[in-house]
Amino acid sequence: MAQLFPKWTNKLPTILLAGLIVSVTILVFSFWYWGSPKYTDVGYTPTQPVQYSHKFHVGELKLDCRYCHTGVENTAIAGVPPTQTCMNCHTVIKKDSLSIAKVINSWNTNQPIEWVRVHKSPDFVYFDHSAHVKVGVGCNTCHGDVASMEVISQEESLSMAWCLECHKNPEMHLRPVDQITNTQWTPPDDQLAYGSWIVKELNITPPLDCSGCHR
Amino acid sequence: MKNNMNGKKYWRSLDEINQTPEFEQFLKNEFSEGTFDVPNGMSRRKFLSIMGASIALAGLASCRRPVEKIIPYAIAPENIVPGTPKYYSTNIPFGSESYGVIVENHEGRPTKLEGNPNHPSTLGKSNAWLQASILDMYDPDRAQSVLHNGYESKLENFATEWKSLDKDFKPSQGDGLAVFSETLNSPTYLRLKQDFLSKYPKAKWVTWDPVSDEMIHDGIRLATGRDYDPVYHYEKAKVVVSLDADFLNTETHSIRHTVDFMQGRRVNDENDSMNRLYVVENSLSVTGGIADHRYRLSHGKIGAFAAALAVELKSMGLSIPGVSELSDYKNHSFNRKWINALANDLIQNRKQSLVVAGRSQSANVHSLVFAINYALKNRGTTVEYFSSDKNNRSDTKDLRSLVVDMKNGDISTLVIFGGNPAYNTPVDLHFNEAVNKVKHTIHISSHVNETSKKSEWSIHKAHPLESWGDTITPDGTKGITQPQIQPLFGGISFIELLSSLIVADETISSGYDLTQETWKTIFGSDFTSNWRTVLHDGVYKNQLTKPANPFLSNTAMSKVFKQNSIVSSEGYEIVFKTSSSLFDGRFSNNGWLQETPDPITKLSWDNAALLSHSTAKELGVNNRDIISLKKNGYSVELPVWIMPGHADQSISVELGYGRTSSGRVGNGVGENTYALRELNALWRSDNVKISKTSKTTVLACTQDHHGLDTEKLAADAIQKRLPAIVRESTLEDYKENPNFVNEHDSAIPLVSMWDEVNYDSGPQWGMTIDLNVCTGCNACSVSCQGENNIPIVGKDQVEKGREMSWIRLDRYYSGDMDNPDMVIQPVNCQHCEMAPCEQVCPVSATTHSEDGLNSMTYNRCVGTRYCANNCPYKVRRFNFHNFTKDLPEIVQMVQNPDVTVRFRGVMEKCTFCVQRITQAKITANNEGRSIQDGEVSTACQQSCPSDAIIFGDITDPDSQISALRKQNRMYALLGEINTQPRVTYLAKLRNPNPDLKPGELS
Repeated sequence: MAQLFPKWTNKLPTILLAGLIVSVTILVFSFWYWGSPKYTDVGYTPTQPVQYSHKFHVGELKLDCRYCHTGVENTAIAGVPPTQTCMNCHTVIKKDSLSIAKVINSWNTNQPIEWVRVHKSPDFVYFDHSAHVKVGVGCNTCHGDVASMEVISQEESLSMAWCLECHKNPEMHLRPVDQITNTQWTPPDDQLAYGSWIVKELNITPPLDCSGCHR
Repeated sequence: MKNNMNGKKYWRSLDEINQTPEFEQFLKNEFSEGTFDVPNGMSRRKFLSIMGASIALAGLASCRRPVEKIIPYAIAPENIVPGTPKYYSTNIPFGSESYGVIVENHEGRPTKLEGNPNHPSTLGKSNAWLQASILDMYDPDRAQSVLHNGYESKLENFATEWKSLDKDFKPSQGDGLAVFSETLNSPTYLRLKQDFLSKYPKAKWVTWDPVSDEMIHDGIRLATGRDYDPVYHYEKAKVVVSLDADFLNTETHSIRHTVDFMQGRRVNDENDSMNRLYVVENSLSVTGGIADHRYRLSHGKIGAFAAALAVELKSMGLSIPGVSELSDYKNHSFNRKWINALANDLIQNRKQSLVVAGRSQSANVHSLVFAINYALKNRGTTVEYFSSDKNNRSDTKDLRSLVVDMKNGDISTLVIFGGNPAYNTPVDLHFNEAVNKVKHTIHISSHVNETSKKSEWSIHKAHPLESWGDTITPDGTKGITQPQIQPLFGGISFIELLSSLIVADETISSGYDLTQETWKTIFGSDFTSNWRTVLHDGVYKNQLTKPANPFLSNTAMSKVFKQNSIVSSEGYEIVFKTSSSLFDGRFSNNGWLQETPDPITKLSWDNAALLSHSTAKELGVNNRDIISLKKNGYSVELPVWIMPGHADQSISVELGYGRTSSGRVGNGVGENTYALRELNALWRSDNVKISKTSKTTVLACTQDHHGLDTEKLAADAIQKRLPAIVRESTLEDYKENPNFVNEHDSAIPLVSMWDEVNYDSGPQWGMTIDLNVCTGCNACSVSCQGENNIPIVGKDQVEKGREMSWIRLDRYYSGDMDNPDMVIQPVNCQHCEMAPCEQVCPVSATTHSEDGLNSMTYNRCVGTRYCANNCPYKVRRFNFHNFTKDLPEIVQMVQNPDVTVRFRGVMEKCTFCVQRITQAKITANNEGRSIQDGEVSTACQQSCPSDAIIFGDITDPDSQISALRKQNRMYALLGEINTQPRVTYLAKLRNPNPDLKPGELS
């Protein structure tokens, strides 16, 4: 009787098995790599309705973060400023510029500007800005060097592992509270000593329990 | 059933006593049969219709990150900080009462109501109705526009029509014009009413409510010849006698009464004293459950009981005016020892006792009660009387003459302010036929209800949280109702409509101006600062009325008793009860209240004919059989529910169900018992013909769901060591044996299978629940539902045991099946330090936090339900469906933004209101201090009118909870299995009269 299968089929199970292992590995790796916030979220730079430049306003004009993000020290939400805040200056400065036409329009029509959210934590995470700012977590620790950004871009992954890294060892990420908004601040050589001291001084106990952030 | 330390046998239901398969089923299986079924087409459809589903076209969720917008204000309103709630005080009218409340607003969106601590009506506490009334505002079935003959119209069109009607009425001085109004104690409304009546002097004005205190007022008028509102001071009473008065739950001013009554009930140690409560009633009520002595008596005989008590008091030397006319009652058939002991107790406590009768008792009974309180010198101490105007109160005679006029064609235009006369007026008045003879009917209502459908004009009413107005209580406490939000569906308030009717110039008046006008007269001078102060405080107590000292005339009382002998009922009586969920039917479309089980029967989504065991035997019926009740050609069919402790030959039926035009939630739920309610028998119908039908029905009863199981937990040998779940004693025994609670605790040292964690650095959160003061009123349960975004699941899901309430109120009976004692035990997550649920979760979705919370992480949960199976307290709830996602957007607006909305396939349970704890912690940390005692209160604690629930830091030696945990009545639920729960209970006490030994009670 003639053979039903040609000889090369003898190798088929081995090839299939090897192929399976490779594809499973690739699959797992793909999810692990391309599915992680580090890949999906870092570098997210959406186009905003108004080309507001943090580089110009913060970097060059030296506006303080809290001039616009007023809630950051006392409430959970830092807040995006109302058009009113823009108009504090722009009623006199560059009021006819094309680039702020949408702002002027918003002001005249009382219709809000719809900004695109860049830094987002999931709905089941209850993040509180004030709790972090009050103990000396600087703005650029999470938001990057905003003062050098023409368009806001996400620099950190904001994943849970990333949060916990700091919650477990806050010492390396704390700075004097009056340096919070200083985007040029760099950790001093004795950061660990300062960090350990301030953790003790302010009794900083970042929650590691689920209920710290999830309710 | 287990024998308790004091020889009591506890049982939850008749099913348990009889050990029916259904009961075993619920006991053994956390998830009952059918739980794993995919809902079939029919039930799924029903479910969706209940939820008002708007199924989103979900599609494949995009793999890309969705673009999310941040929309700031263009011009920021002053004082609004995004993410931070604002609290404003206001007043919400509710029938003849009004509640002073504090409203939590998130970015201008009210989400939660709490009592206003400054306002005497609530003192910071609330009840289930108040808690749920916020959901009414977001009801998508609310009236959304003016309807003219059922077609959408505009307010302007109505105003134009009224102007032309007014042309006719002006010369005729309002002849043929009539107003029907629900009770509304608002200074502005009453002022405008006077204006209206002086503009149209010949117009008729009728005030009527299906549930009112009319009989109480009538009784006091019989006794004194004048009109008074009684105000009770339960805190001053050492002995309270309730004649069919459920004053802790369904009667008027129940919040205040509970707060006051529990002041005399709370016990700190064995040397404390306790008030004593006697209850005589036909159907077991919340108040009857708390009672130290309860006398089971049919409704019709309660009058005779009162008379017998009066005669007994007289024979003990108390002079009660007119009581000699009642000497026939000397030969009563009631338990003589009982009445004697009661009378003796009252005589011993003159000036410190209180006799109250329920609103369903006749005027004669109320006049007798007035006379007894008068003779006991309680007037001025435990009860005060305030002059009142009878024209502003519900009056059935007025209603009758209005309907007669309507039938005769004497009324050409009828304006109806609220209410629902087409549904709830006495059936033999035939309001629906009479209204057809009226040419123009105008109805202002929050919903397009049965009456609106009969009306030519239906005007949409704004919710009290959307409109300006004011309120006044009997003692003259006034308050302003201030809007929290613009009317969601447009709509106007009563005062705006009434004023527009008076002005009749095609404009709609402004409620703000009308309210200010009234308050300008109230303040006299310095309007602006006074106005702002009252808006802020929510209450104005500067011009309180002085209590009157009504005089009781001997001759008047003799006349009363001579003319109106107190009759007893014959045959089967039907007693109409105010629903503890739907009140008179106004909350019919409120899913929170529909789903909250009745405190006693534990039925949800239905009303039933409640009757006693022996009456059921007599009729040959069992639970869920449908019986037909007939009287004078009117009939209603209702399912039977056997209620232990119910009087024989008596059937109680709840009002407010069986609505046909309520909305998608309330339509067709239960049976309309108003269809049997006649003019002469508003509260009780005698000689009712009862017949059994061959039909049965399904009732969603939660009483055996999530039952704590001691029987099946362990082998028989261990059983003896298992102490009772509810522990109680009497005050007398407690004094002798202060440590009775711990007697049955196991002497065997508790050994843990796991490494124990040290929780001794604060704060460590804990809760105590004082069973001695808990009434079972459901305020905590509804409050929790609002605070924690707990979904409504619908009747067919409740039948399967899928109700989602995080705090359930277990009701245990003990003793005699005919007249049992009742204990209510609230059970929420016990936050065990050695939590069995945590040990079995395969994904660590439930873990323990440093401050002692058993926390549930929804985003980790994969829905294995192992935790629920391993929870000895059965407090975990599983989301079998997307209960919330399918809700209409408007209902989703009531959600608390500080709490995650759970998705299908996720376990949930009480979190100790972790959102409140976290917020307090952040605030305290930001201010560089530690959390103060009392700074964090859970939602259940905040609303509890008895203060039965106390929450706090158990490591703080000065905290309120630490003091409670030191009490010798404290015990842990199922403590012998070493779960080390953070919730502990304080044992219940009763204070029986030493002259009345148990067993001698009727």
